[in-house]
Amino acid sequence: MSGIRALIVDDSSVMRKVVERCLRQSGIDVGEVYNASNGMEALAVINENTVDLVLTDINMPVMDGLEFIKQMQGMDNAKRIPVVMITTEGGEKQVMEALSLGAKGYIRKPFTPDQVREQVVPILGRPS
Amino acid sequence: MSAPTSIPSDSSFSLESWRTFLRDAAKEVFAMMLGAELKDADQPDPTAEAEVTAMVGLAGPISGVLSLRCSAAVSIEIAGRMLGLTGSDAESHRCDAVGETCNMVAGAFKAKLSELQNSCMLSVPTVITGNDYAVHPLLVGNRMDVPFLFDGQVVCLSLEISD
Repeated sequence: MSGIRALIVDDSSVMRKVVERCLRQSGIDVGEVYNASNGMEALAVINENTVDLVLTDINMPVMDGLEFIKQMQGMDNAKRIPVVMITTEGGEKQVMEALSLGAKGYIRKPFTPDQVREQVVPILGRPS
Repeated sequence: MSAPTSIPSDSSFSLESWRTFLRDAAKEVFAMMLGAELKDADQPDPTAEAEVTAMVGLAGPISGVLSLRCSAAVSIEIAGRMLGLTGSDAESHRCDAVGETCNMVAGAFKAKLSELQNSCMLSVPTVITGNDYAVHPLLVGNRMDVPFLFDGQVVCLSLEISD
């Protein structure tokens, strides 16, 4: 299958659909899209599938987005997957924490497909 | 998105300023996520149907609750516009969509105030359906209602904050 394989992590099914819709509308060549409602589910998805990009919320039950990134850094099959945070919590402190843990980008809700594209395209390193 | 504003310490600062921030935050969210232009309504219409109520708690430098109330039809329209769906497909997502909308308005509101941006925490949204209920917040403080027209129908945001 062509196109990037993206994993979208958010406890809101509506937001997962919105993020997927924006990703596809952004002009990025998107193939398979996987979904998870928290960090724990997301780690299981990564263990069972090849993922090229992770877009994750921060505030989620069971395992939040920051802990999820920490766990990814300890996994050989996950630590090189670029992560973009998409969250309502857009304070500078939280942005810095996410970036220091390994996130490559940060999008604050509300957002547009153009904002998704601006963050994701440079990270993937392949212009679409 | 504009840079956050500091909360002035003098008494000249009024809740009217926060009303402006809340209004701007709501317009931003509806424009970016729903492609809709909110129009200001003069005052809350107590007779307006409020079948769906979403609430998000704020804790930190301020404590309070932000709520968004709308009719069932508006909640379906919000879900439909957010997801590009219609009819029953949109209806099945209406609670989640209204909850997330309220959550994003709360986030956009606090992002406009530098003192809140880093240290004010938001709760996960709670959504109530039906209109035969009363809310009794255990807060002593101020309340502001910010009504809008969305496609000609009323959507009301309320912010209750403790002193």
